[in-house]
Amino acid sequence: MMLAVFATLSLALLAEYCGQRWLAVSSMLVCLALSIGLFLFEIYSPDYGFHMPWLQVLLDPPPHVSPRGDHS
Amino acid sequence: MNRTTSARLPATLNDLFLFAMMLTMAAVLTTAMVFQYYGGEIPCPLCLLQRVAMFGICYGVILHFRHGYSARNDGLSMLFALFLLIVSARQTLLDIYPRPGHSYIGNAVLGLHMPVWSVVIAVAVLLAFAIKLAVLGGEHLRNREPSPALGRVAGLLCLYVVAICLINLVSVMLQCGAGACHTSEYRLLSDS
Repeated sequence: MMLAVFATLSLALLAEYCGQRWLAVSSMLVCLALSIGLFLFEIYSPDYGFHMPWLQVLLDPPPHVSPRGDHS
Repeated sequence: MNRTTSARLPATLNDLFLFAMMLTMAAVLTTAMVFQYYGGEIPCPLCLLQRVAMFGICYGVILHFRHGYSARNDGLSMLFALFLLIVSARQTLLDIYPRPGHSYIGNAVLGLHMPVWSVVIAVAVLLAFAIKLAVLGGEHLRNREPSPALGRVAGLLCLYVVAICLINLVSVMLQCGAGACHTSEYRLLSDS
């Protein structure tokens, strides 16, 4: 799929250079759509989905504050 | 300053800004290719997508130098800059804590690895476009051709960007073939 991404990108740049503007813009939009699809495919994990659980941290429970204002 | 000169100045500044933007992107892409071909660092899929985003930023600039100013060109470049930011931020988050078998490979430049540099570049591009649009606006930039000298140099730079894009296409063909990309070898050049 990466080959398709670079092929459409190269087609867009070449078409623009040759004056085929609408072919170029169309190819570039196809390239962007393929890139987004490939990005989502690359970061998806069967185990974690799109999450990154190794970055999650556990929050410490907030300190208890008595009515007089001192921490326990 | 007469009226013609004052109307010409924003267009000239816009041309210079976009030329500097494309020159910077071309320099970054060339550096990445030097690391790849001279340093032997085969790019990962997300690294290749970051290159696509940088070529996309250049594409918006090429449209400007070939067809004149349009806010659509700036919008297209900013769209790819946003894509660059999303991809590089995700890769940076992946590399913060290397998982077994997925540790980051590649040299640091001035202490920062490539995805972190990409985050910096994407933020800088978005910030630069925002400042440019805020300062220069768009109403004085229409229907003004770049100066002939700058137009010629920009044309050569556009050609260079197209050339390195084609080199990247051949490189991706060798590395990935028609399937998934791996950072261990060039698939079409391996013996197995």
